[in-house]
Amino acid sequence: MSSSRFPIPQGTLDMLILQILSLEPAHGYGIAQRLEQISKSVVQVNQGSLYPALHRLEQKCWLKANWKESETGREAKFYSLTRSGQNQLRVEKDSWARLTGAVQLIFDEGIAQ
Amino acid sequence: MNRILNWFRLRRLEGDLNRELQYHIDRRVADLIHSGLPETEARRRAALELGGATQVREEVRDIWLTRWLRDFVYDLRFSARSFLQSPSFTATAVLSLSLGIGATTALYSLVDQLVLRALPADHPERLVLIDWIGFQNAETLGTDNLMSYPICRDLQQQKEFFDGVFCRAATTINLSTSGEPRLTAAELVSGTYFSLLGLSPALGRLLTIDDDQAPGSSPVVVLSYDFWKNQFGSAQDIVGRKVLVNQYPMTVVGVAAPAFHGIDVGEVPSLWIPAVMSAQAIPGFNTMLDRRTRWVQILGRLKQNVSLAQAQTGLQPWFKAMLDEDTRRTNISRASAEHRREFLASTLALTPAPQGHSVLRHDFSRPLWVLFVATLVLLALAGLNVAGLFLARGSARHREVSTRLALGASRGRIGRQLLADSVLLAFTGGLLGIVMAPVAVRALIAFLPRNTAAADLEANVDTRMLLFAFLVSLATGFLAGCVPALQAGRKSLESSLRERGGTPSGGLSLRRGIVTAQIAFTLILVVAAGLFIQTLHGLLAKGPGFETSNLISFGIRPALNGYSGAEETQLIRRISEGIRNSGSTQASAIAVVQLLLEGAWSNSLTIQSGERFTTDREVQMNAVTPGFFETLRTRIVAGRDFNEHDSLDVALVNQSLPVSKNGQRVVIVNEAFVKRYFGGRNPLGAHIAMGSQPDAKPDTEIIGVVQNISYRSLREQWEQAYFPIGTELSGSNFYVRFRGTPESAFRSIRGILRNADPTLPITYFRTLDEQIDRSLNTERMLSALSSSFGTLALLFSLVGLYGVMSFVVTQRRREIGIRLALGATRLSTIWLVLRDALVMIAGGTAIALPCVWALGRLVESQLYDVKPTDPVTILAATLVLCSTALGAAVIPARRASAVNPSDALRFE
Repeated sequence: MSSSRFPIPQGTLDMLILQILSLEPAHGYGIAQRLEQISKSVVQVNQGSLYPALHRLEQKCWLKANWKESETGREAKFYSLTRSGQNQLRVEKDSWARLTGAVQLIFDEGIAQ
Repeated sequence: MNRILNWFRLRRLEGDLNRELQYHIDRRVADLIHSGLPETEARRRAALELGGATQVREEVRDIWLTRWLRDFVYDLRFSARSFLQSPSFTATAVLSLSLGIGATTALYSLVDQLVLRALPADHPERLVLIDWIGFQNAETLGTDNLMSYPICRDLQQQKEFFDGVFCRAATTINLSTSGEPRLTAAELVSGTYFSLLGLSPALGRLLTIDDDQAPGSSPVVVLSYDFWKNQFGSAQDIVGRKVLVNQYPMTVVGVAAPAFHGIDVGEVPSLWIPAVMSAQAIPGFNTMLDRRTRWVQILGRLKQNVSLAQAQTGLQPWFKAMLDEDTRRTNISRASAEHRREFLASTLALTPAPQGHSVLRHDFSRPLWVLFVATLVLLALAGLNVAGLFLARGSARHREVSTRLALGASRGRIGRQLLADSVLLAFTGGLLGIVMAPVAVRALIAFLPRNTAAADLEANVDTRMLLFAFLVSLATGFLAGCVPALQAGRKSLESSLRERGGTPSGGLSLRRGIVTAQIAFTLILVVAAGLFIQTLHGLLAKGPGFETSNLISFGIRPALNGYSGAEETQLIRRISEGIRNSGSTQASAIAVVQLLLEGAWSNSLTIQSGERFTTDREVQMNAVTPGFFETLRTRIVAGRDFNEHDSLDVALVNQSLPVSKNGQRVVIVNEAFVKRYFGGRNPLGAHIAMGSQPDAKPDTEIIGVVQNISYRSLREQWEQAYFPIGTELSGSNFYVRFRGTPESAFRSIRGILRNADPTLPITYFRTLDEQIDRSLNTERMLSALSSSFGTLALLFSLVGLYGVMSFVVTQRRREIGIRLALGATRLSTIWLVLRDALVMIAGGTAIALPCVWALGRLVESQLYDVKPTDPVTILAATLVLCSTALGAAVIPARRASAVNPSDALRFE
């Protein structure tokens, strides 16, 4: 694996999963692939932490899951966003924006000096 | 919540997770092969990327259950498995716990129903009982906390303290609905009763203030839900139907809500009647508006912001003014100056009554609490026993625990495992206990005196009882488990691993402590059992003062069937003659007041014998026919019995003393009376008068002295005076000495009664032996339960002691072997072991004796003829305990002496 990829920051995996699922329902492997594609192989997601994250989100009722036939014809567990999951995504996006905005502000200040 | 649910669907979750992960790996492998990797390499990469399927699974499981819950499930499984491996240990522990929990739960259920449960009313916490403390100078009808009806109306005007005030009186009426008339429990209530309690009708309407106007103005009744269901088959057209109350027609206006059983546990009314109908509901009662007749209990609900103390203080000015007015408005001026002073010194007391008012509660709450405490002690003993068993098992499992510690388990983790053990045991015990509790409750209810009591007290498992059993099981589990759990992590790991197998010493001193405590508890319970048994035996041996065998008693209430005056006298006379002429009758007599039913007719008397003085306390009175004492086989020790010429006009009894046909008034007194007021001198020929007024004329001559007999209960020894019964007879109690079997006597008497009037209300009908049994219900309950508790406790401590001693012997096997090899005698080895047991027994006894002394006051009022510190009882209990305990210790001690030195040394 290339050293140019850095591990995903703590706590953002949940948000990314919610974001991906807000587009359309997907199974675990699909989410892993989507993460790779979207992040253009810049972010490295440890696939081992994906499933605990999915189950944690399901436990919190932000995701619901059901078994459906996948594109290969085999049954797979598809996750989709619940209403409270959508709310949560909005909250997280919002606070992410505020955080990055604030960080950016600090950086800009540093340049101004 | 979700997580707890997960617990139950763990298997499905696991399956799903496996499928999900398998899908992921298969897809990844396929993709990698597609991109050109060989299959084996693809599989390796896929597994690597996932970071190990097992670890992922572990992590996901933690999410499902959270760590501790999952561990706990495993602990429980492990515990269950290890318990199944040692069934005898498990059975002993579970059985002792379930006995403890079952007994405690049963007692709690009764305490709850009888003492704790609030009325299903509006703001029951603000309900108060209003009571007159002091001398009321009034005729009494009923028992406990009675006042007059006009006072209730006065109190209803005290609106600054009360939301409202109501009064009630329990009574028994003769009710005909359609078929045969039947004696039925009823409650006479003021119009404010239902509205203040905030009750709504199930059908029709309840009684209102409009039903509370002039006497006799409102002939209506409200039925209880159960009575309506059972007696009328829940007939929807019940409102408007007529029923006969003591032959007086009244209209049903409604049915009360299902949950409402009146305000008195133990006297559940079937119907409610307005207090203004008291003259119809209680034949011969016409003093409802009289301030000198006390017959109702008064309860009120305090206003939102008024405290009990405020109300009590605030009411005194009104109360004092009323007392003052009373002295002017009534004939109290006739009373002695002393009585007048007492009357004016009276105060009004408020007591919280969220559970309503109950004589049953009043009488039984103390014995019930005593028993409840005893069961808690018993439960603690059972818990300690299990703790001891655990410690024993803990030492056996010592190496297992040490190994787990060495492998990196935390001490907390090990402790939790041991707690899981005990909690699992406690809950199994609790489940069994819940199965046993209703049976026990039913048995306990059978000990309660009134027939009606059984009707309202339930032996069902309800949520409160389940909650209690749950909490108790949990507490017991912790009690039994925390000692071994704390013990588990104490010793250093190194030293315990280095120890030789089979010689761990963990927890021995603790176990000695536990056994000592057990012995102490047990001694307390055994002493209590001894005291209660002695009380019962003392009462039975003393007896009622008359011969109870072949004696039947029954009561009739012709007035409830519409009889009055001459008709009633004729009826009673007819029955009386029928019985006297029956072949199975040896002797028979009539008394106005029934014996041994806690009812009494009493008053103070003025005695003239040389000097004139009044009795310093009320004398118990009865009116009887000639031959009463002969029928009871009570000896007349001086003077003579009444004869036919003494029969008197009973209607005058309550005003003054009756006059006989030949103008002479006579009375017979008992030995206690002679002892108290004549100091043993001959009382014959002295004169007495009813009451203590200065103008009372002592014109009634004492013509006889009889032995003491029990009047209200076997315990009492009171001064008594008997008057001859009048020519005009009303409701009465018959005493019949019969020949042959009770069954044939019952049959013949019933035939006579049926002949006289097939619908005659019979209040009771039983042999005197049964009557005595009934009157001793509390004593029988206390002695039966305390002795079974004592036996159980003894058993628990014997098992505990035996366990510890066996353990000590196993542990000291090597040492004993060496001693024997060096020439110690077998006897000295027995002594070596027994000494240990003796220390524990002596220690337990030393702890228990001061406790017995201190707790004695709790039970003193329940005892008869024996002091709580009775040395003989305590000595006997100590002897029983010590000898059985030594017996339990001797078995392992003998085993110690049988040790073969060479075996013991080779055992290494």
